[in-house]
Amino acid sequence: MQITSLRKGVLTASALAIGLTAANAAMAEWKPNRPVELVVSAGPGGGSDIFTRVVQAALTKNDLVETPLIVVNKPGGSGSEAFNYAEDNVGSPYKVYFGTQDAYVLPLGTKVNYAMKDLTPVASMVFDVFILWANPKASGINTAQEFVAKAKENPGKVRVAGAKAKDADETVVTLVERAAGIDLAYIPYKSGSEAAIQVAGGHIEANTNNPSESLEQWKAGNQKPLCVFTSARLTDKTVVADGMSWADIPTCVESGIDVKDFVQPRTVWMAADVPPEALAYYTDLMKKAMDTPEFKDYTTRNVQITKFMTGDELKTFLAEQIKNYEKIYADNNWLLPASQ
Amino acid sequence: MGNFGQLMDGFVVALTMHHVMIMVIGVLLGLVVGVLPGLGAPNGVSLLLPLTFTMDPIAAIILLTSMYWGALFGGSTTSILFNIPGEPSSVATTFDGHPMAKQGEAVRALTLAFGSAGFGAMVGVVVITLLSGWVANFALQFGSPEYFAVYFMAFASFIGMAGGSPFKTLVCIMLGLAVGTVGMDTISGEGRLTFGITQLTNGISFLIVVIGLFGIGELLLTIDEGYKFDGVKAKLSLRVILRTLAELPRYWVTLLRSALIGCWMGITPGGPTAASFMSYALGKRFSRRGKYFGKGEPEGIVAPETADHSAGSCALLPMLALGVPGSATAAVMMGGLMIWGLSPGPMLFTTRPDFVWGLIASMYLGNVIAVVLVLATVPIFAWILRAPFTVVGPLIAIVCLIGAYTVSNHVFDIWVALGFGLVGYVFKKLEYPLAPFVLAVVLGDKAEDAFRQSMLSSGGSLSVFFEGSLVATMMGIGILLLSLPLITALFGALFRRGREEGQTHSS
Amino acid sequence: MEISRKTMEVATAVLTGSVGALICYGSTENGIGWGPGGPEPGYFPFGIGCLILLGSLATLAQTFWKYAGARPEAAHGVSGAVPEEPFINGTRLRLLVAFVLPIVAMTAISAWLGLYIGMGLYIFYTMRVSAGFRTLTSLATALLVIAVNFVVFEKLFMVPLLKGPILEYFGIY
Repeated sequence: MQITSLRKGVLTASALAIGLTAANAAMAEWKPNRPVELVVSAGPGGGSDIFTRVVQAALTKNDLVETPLIVVNKPGGSGSEAFNYAEDNVGSPYKVYFGTQDAYVLPLGTKVNYAMKDLTPVASMVFDVFILWANPKASGINTAQEFVAKAKENPGKVRVAGAKAKDADETVVTLVERAAGIDLAYIPYKSGSEAAIQVAGGHIEANTNNPSESLEQWKAGNQKPLCVFTSARLTDKTVVADGMSWADIPTCVESGIDVKDFVQPRTVWMAADVPPEALAYYTDLMKKAMDTPEFKDYTTRNVQITKFMTGDELKTFLAEQIKNYEKIYADNNWLLPASQ
Repeated sequence: MGNFGQLMDGFVVALTMHHVMIMVIGVLLGLVVGVLPGLGAPNGVSLLLPLTFTMDPIAAIILLTSMYWGALFGGSTTSILFNIPGEPSSVATTFDGHPMAKQGEAVRALTLAFGSAGFGAMVGVVVITLLSGWVANFALQFGSPEYFAVYFMAFASFIGMAGGSPFKTLVCIMLGLAVGTVGMDTISGEGRLTFGITQLTNGISFLIVVIGLFGIGELLLTIDEGYKFDGVKAKLSLRVILRTLAELPRYWVTLLRSALIGCWMGITPGGPTAASFMSYALGKRFSRRGKYFGKGEPEGIVAPETADHSAGSCALLPMLALGVPGSATAAVMMGGLMIWGLSPGPMLFTTRPDFVWGLIASMYLGNVIAVVLVLATVPIFAWILRAPFTVVGPLIAIVCLIGAYTVSNHVFDIWVALGFGLVGYVFKKLEYPLAPFVLAVVLGDKAEDAFRQSMLSSGGSLSVFFEGSLVATMMGIGILLLSLPLITALFGALFRRGREEGQTHSS
Repeated sequence: MEISRKTMEVATAVLTGSVGALICYGSTENGIGWGPGGPEPGYFPFGIGCLILLGSLATLAQTFWKYAGARPEAAHGVSGAVPEEPFINGTRLRLLVAFVLPIVAMTAISAWLGLYIGMGLYIFYTMRVSAGFRTLTSLATALLVIAVNFVVFEKLFMVPLLKGPILEYFGIY
């Protein structure tokens, strides 16, 4: 009895070893032999879409892939359509999914037909920072302090625009409300650029946005950055407008709004049960994409924080993120009822 | 004058052999993409985008915009010949275009469409050239209440236009609105009317509704009418084309009115689809031949086509100047701009005048090339029509079904399209008006978003829609348009009574 | 079998009415009131549902009114000339069903075996059975349609259509 089980053990071990070497060999060799779909959890023109297309451009322009890459937009259901597609295509090594925190935040607050177990994390490539903007001309707000003061004078009357509901923008607005003890009116728009235009046109007092989406309006003097939601100031010192550079924008903590680090990861996923060699291939590919000049241009232009995470580091990061969001969602009463 | 000088510089940029070649290629690809309903301009442009990564931005944008023009023209072709709108904005073209084709006047209908579309596009480009500086500031004045007012105007121009049972019109509008509501709600982030069906969370795409209602619905009707499809009679001669082109200036009132509506809707957030509908509706109401609309009336083609293309051209301006894309295609192009290292926004005009004016100059050329090329394809399509319906019918069915599938790669969507096909057939036979249905699908959820955003920012006070001169004016026009049928009826009655009284007095 | 226009009017109105009721019911899940920040998510859908229901009931009433008004006249009429038009007659209905059923079959097959096989079978069937071409011609046309679509979608525009297990098995993608 013991012998058999021992023998069995040896057998499994050797089988495992053979399997591993085979996997290693395959890992070195595996590459897609058909067009690969890059599935985006957003519509054309948005942040995730541009991120994906930059990766596509970087890979094709530098001949890092031999097969065509096709960008497929699946913005339905706030992006859940994309991840639902992953659930439909279990194990497919020809589909890579691009998103933000939406991949793991969506299931918290909305009824979606996928779960985290349907996704295999590949990498988190860069972080988009968030900035609180205001229209200085129309609202008379020039600093974060003035913003808070105005909101205290007019509770519930100062309007902040952002993209979508219960997504990153609204989340950060609720964090600001709680940290500063103010009450704001959040108004969701379809996209961040639409929200920015509303502020630039003076219809809304303020908005939260990624730097790139409001950059042009800052240059034109229609928007002004109040504070940035990072623990340390940004590093880019090239002057943008009004003699200010990105590095001159105070952090929100400095300005008395205690919201330390609220950043948006740009994440890459695959479906569950994909072959490990395919996963290794795409992880490597994303790393290579990051080193291309096209991608570097993109991160500088968007004032992003580059940090490539994969493997265990990524898993720890995701677990932490999900925990944070669960707390925020619970505080905001956005969690799905437990009955679901 | 400054604009004119810059435009000349733009022509110097655009008028190279290389760029003209790119325009021809772009237009040809666009035609193919526009003819196939599943591909469409946004899809086509996004597929071409990778090709542009190695090009310089000016050549790249010329390629993409030329493809866009080509696709807009291609979309009208299938609308007229098979009642399948290749593009959402060419739905209104089916109303009179397809009846004309069925009566054996396909060539004339196509020529009318392309000619007036070319005219519309030209007006659009001229408006862009003259007003580029002013438009950006004007567009910034549009807050949520103004958005709502624009949609309201488009709706108002359409309601009351449809004849027949007012109850059926009501049911159709409301069903359209309901279809637009299905899926994720922008304002609350909740799923609505999904009934727990996953596929419904993604919403029902407008394209699928249109492919079903018009494409498949029309196939069923054709069979019901005993395969009556008189495409065979289409006379195939250059003379018909030339004669039709010469006929165009006769519709100058419609052309001008439609171009104005198109430019207005292109600059404001209405977009080409709403523009073509509104122009059709106003054409029907104000044209002397209005009562023939829907039965194969030339002006019923001229009106939507002109507006569609002038709006399509004008919509590029808010994209360049504000970074807010006016249509799905513009959104993809905007993504392209960012990848090429340009940021759309108010400063683009000063930082890259060569790019902006090169693009505007290429729009003049690209549209001329598109009109010429698309006219050259007319004989090919006329030839297809000569095939017997037993062969063409199944082919159209396949085009429709593939189209429904490619919208978002779901087989579920094919079933939805088939369902809408049955609805389209039954509704058309029972005289439920389909046009308001479609318009409601297009504008319904946008209008609702704008309304609720206005409410959120005003704290629930309806008075925002009448504060401020811009929004108040637009709402006023909207209400006027809405009550116009009532007013004319009232006046008509008064006038008649007055005359009768006059007669009794005189006798 | 012939379907009368009245039957169809009634059926359609009943159908749209039930859709309206369904929408009313579905919207209650989102809250149908008017909150402090304007209408709740279900406010408009609920109204829409109610109006559909209302419009359908009115159409129903109109239909009955119309045909009720017509009937006594017909009864008193000379040769029973009932002004009740048919919605569709038997021959046409058969034609219609013969056209629709293969499309439905094709969709079902496509969902299972992929769009290319679905469209091939469908074209072959319609060419051979409905249009009465020879088997060889039909087969050639079917293959041609598949090939053209494959080249246009997969190669030219790189839009992947549903392949299904058979094509996957042969390594076509």
